[in-house]
Amino acid sequence: MSVATANPPGSEQDGYVSPARRAWRPYFLVLPALLLTIGILYPFVQGVIYSFQNLKATRPNPEFVGFRNYQRILTDNDFWHAAWVTAKFAIGATAVETLLGVGVALLLARNSKVSSFLERFLILPLMIAPIIATIMWRLMMQPSVGILNYILKPIGLGGIAWTDTPAMAMFSVILIDVWIYTPFVALLVLAGLRSLPSAPFEAAAVEGAGPWFTFRNLTLPMLAPYILVAVIFRFMDSLKVFDVIWGLTQGGPGDALIAIQPKAYQEAISFSNFSTGQTYMVILWAIVYLTTRLLISVLGRAQARAAGV
Amino acid sequence: MATDKPSQQVHQQAIPEAQGMAVAASGPAVDPDARPRSIGGIGLDLLTIAYFAFALFPIIWILMLSFKSQDQLFTTYFRFDPTLDSYKAVLGLSSTTESVPFMKYFLNSLIASFGAVAVSLLVGVPAAYAFARYQFKGANDMLFTLLSFRFAPELMVIIPVYVIYQKIGLFDRHLGLIWVYQLITLPLIVWILRSYFQDLTPELEQSAMLDGYNRWQALVKVVVPLVKPGIAAAALLAFIFAWNSFIFPFILTGSNAQTVTVGALAFMGGAKPRYNVTAAAALISLIPPLVLALSIQRYLVRGLTFGAVKG
Amino acid sequence: MATLALKGVRKEYGKSVVALKGLDLDIGDGEFFVLLGPSGAGKTTTLKCVAGLEQPTLGHVEIGGLDVSNIEPNARKVAMAFENYALYPQETVYDNIAFPLRSRRYYREPGEAQSIIERVTTTLGINHLLQRLPRELSGGQKQRVALARVLVRPADVLLLDEPLSHLDAKLRAAMRAELKSLGELQSTTSLYVTHDYLEALALGDRIAVLNEGELVQVGTREEIWHRPVNTFVAKAFGQPQINLVEGEVIPGHDGPRFHGANGAVDLPMHGFDVTPGRKVITGMRPRDLVMDAKPGMAHIKGSVWVTEPLGRQQEVTLEAGGQHIAVITPLSSLAIGDTVTISVPVSRILLFDAESGQRIPAKDDAAGAARPIAEMEVSRG
Repeated sequence: MSVATANPPGSEQDGYVSPARRAWRPYFLVLPALLLTIGILYPFVQGVIYSFQNLKATRPNPEFVGFRNYQRILTDNDFWHAAWVTAKFAIGATAVETLLGVGVALLLARNSKVSSFLERFLILPLMIAPIIATIMWRLMMQPSVGILNYILKPIGLGGIAWTDTPAMAMFSVILIDVWIYTPFVALLVLAGLRSLPSAPFEAAAVEGAGPWFTFRNLTLPMLAPYILVAVIFRFMDSLKVFDVIWGLTQGGPGDALIAIQPKAYQEAISFSNFSTGQTYMVILWAIVYLTTRLLISVLGRAQARAAGV
Repeated sequence: MATDKPSQQVHQQAIPEAQGMAVAASGPAVDPDARPRSIGGIGLDLLTIAYFAFALFPIIWILMLSFKSQDQLFTTYFRFDPTLDSYKAVLGLSSTTESVPFMKYFLNSLIASFGAVAVSLLVGVPAAYAFARYQFKGANDMLFTLLSFRFAPELMVIIPVYVIYQKIGLFDRHLGLIWVYQLITLPLIVWILRSYFQDLTPELEQSAMLDGYNRWQALVKVVVPLVKPGIAAAALLAFIFAWNSFIFPFILTGSNAQTVTVGALAFMGGAKPRYNVTAAAALISLIPPLVLALSIQRYLVRGLTFGAVKG
Repeated sequence: MATLALKGVRKEYGKSVVALKGLDLDIGDGEFFVLLGPSGAGKTTTLKCVAGLEQPTLGHVEIGGLDVSNIEPNARKVAMAFENYALYPQETVYDNIAFPLRSRRYYREPGEAQSIIERVTTTLGINHLLQRLPRELSGGQKQRVALARVLVRPADVLLLDEPLSHLDAKLRAAMRAELKSLGELQSTTSLYVTHDYLEALALGDRIAVLNEGELVQVGTREEIWHRPVNTFVAKAFGQPQINLVEGEVIPGHDGPRFHGANGAVDLPMHGFDVTPGRKVITGMRPRDLVMDAKPGMAHIKGSVWVTEPLGRQQEVTLEAGGQHIAVITPLSSLAIGDTVTISVPVSRILLFDAESGQRIPAKDDAAGAARPIAEMEVSRG
């Protein structure tokens, strides 16, 4: 028996808030972001719809064509060439960036006078717009004003044609990507190194473990989750590479650097075949999505293992 | 009343250094500066210097290139007579008429990036707070939708947006750029701020509520001041990424709303490319992100990984 | 000033975690009520439900007889000291304490606020710390600042969540006495959470024992101490823990007897209504037991297993029939392995059902509950 039963809680009470209002509270906070998300999601959905149509700039009233776009593209050599270019670039760039990034992080973790001084400059390449970075490298690779061949001449490597052959173009574009993104890997791994618990290392030192043994059996397993986060981010971004390739050779020489996203650009924007370009994008998106799922499950296992150390 | 000792927080600072030593695989765990420098230590320092030479040389060389005169462009490498001609050309101050209105592009970049971040902050801060503090239906779906934007290929949205913008007249407009830039800035701000809000014990704002403040006042008076550095860092990082974006303005703008990233590329073309002017344009366009980045270095790791790694 | 009541309060987190399983409490106006339980018992959840910081899944809270389910936390006239202090890290001690007095609800003119703060901080002995930041304070100082922030403004109900748990033993004893003497705490309805039974005994007008989200027992300190409803409550109070010996009721020549520890513990059961054959547990508090064979008491013979000095006393653990029994005695020279006899005051024996753990009432239960608590005398000395 309480007063409340006789006088049900009503809005006349100080500080009253109705149960409905309380339940809706988080949704009020999220609502503006939700509307904006829908605003971005709408083109996404529209894009998927395009891939089942035959929309072109010259055909404003498209028809549904079912899976015909997918069928055509997946049996087209152009697609498999673009996929091959994308795979070469993504695997090559991610591998080099990871190895180099881990190395740089280990060097910086020594906290020597030299490394502490240089560490503050680590992020610079990463913060420059990739397209600007590419322009900078293009200037350096220029045969006439370029400085690279001048520097390399003393070691017998003068006169390199950096973008003339497909192999050299791929090398150059990976080089530029490595220049930009190695700091990303290094930064993450360095954060990981600095947050490792000290107790296992002290124990290993007391046990008389050598540096290589310590690195192999303690540092690396505990660092694995950080390295994997870096790999996931780098690999995903490499799959959708555009800026570096477009800035360097616009996909050339020939179609040597036409990865999937540049290919979609050509189709959709250069040739105004919106539906074809969009179908490329949906396929790429599916690849990115599936690869992310795979890598994240690997990450989960690595984190579990690292926690168990 | 019994007296007790003031708390000591100094000890913790020594720990990261010790860890760095322990994992660097460079010998016994002692301060390298406290012992005579070994051959191995010098070798590793040289390797460090080698990497940074690779990382910093392009920036330094572009800086030099931008100060070269047209006459010395093809004839000199490291020794030349510096001039400001290229900068004058980029900024439209030289007598020769400049075909690329770079200052306008610079302003466009500023408007679009600033606008995008402002919109994202306005809608993102309350959303991030809700995601951190409340459990509600659909929360995870929305969070992962936002995350998927981070990994989606840009063209996936650009092609439809291009078609839509052509129709509704947002093509080559600042507002159009601000809208698509949400794809970059909103997920970043929501995810990073959520992780900062989660780090903060909810008992602070709960305490404020019992101290006589309503929920809104508790948020503004207690929570926001504490996460202000996080908000600032997230906003600056979002600004950098919006500024650095190339493919969005490349496709969605013409001469009116074009940004520096697209404009700088234009210097590379033309019948008679002027590489020194290109260098100056590149340099001017990378100044804002670099200056901002150096001011938020401490928060960068968390920002770059969407809160997955707390640096 | 107000009464406080919890009516069937149940709190679930997600689908699988049940923090409170339907809690009913009635706390009188001005009462100092202590909630005692191990970690995870649901003590903090109870406080947060009262404050409105958590919404009960079922049931409701009444303050002053009014259902406050739909009242915002800031309008419930409740003050709370959090276990982690919840001091605002960017504000000085003074600003922390003044924080409520600057809200619209508890607003005081700056001058008036200052005099209130001065009075409270002088009582708590922290008026020399006012310009410091929370990170420059020790745990004990932070706790007093948190308490000051609670005491500067009017409240119908005070909620105190383990306010002494982060202090060292000596400071905790001092603060315990101090809390008791604070006028605000004496006159305001207070709900005090702790896992320390000494705090509960020292402070509580009444004590509720909580375990795994359920109320085990509510009562005065004497009721809880002398008539614990089950072995869980008996074990929760007293250090060293109560000696529990499992055994069986057997027939004897002068009535039923307790037979346990392979016959090493043999006690008369004439104080209880029990029939032979029943499986039971006897409880003997270490401070009730006496060294050597005293007339008029039951005796247990055993060998010294371990001794541990406790100031002027010592804790002696005997081994008797495979059972360990702790006794508190004055300091004496005992060697490990020595055979000794201890005496058990029969009227102090507690009896529990072996299966359910519930206490079996003694015939003179009503008289027993009025006795003073030996533990409290000792802790005061």
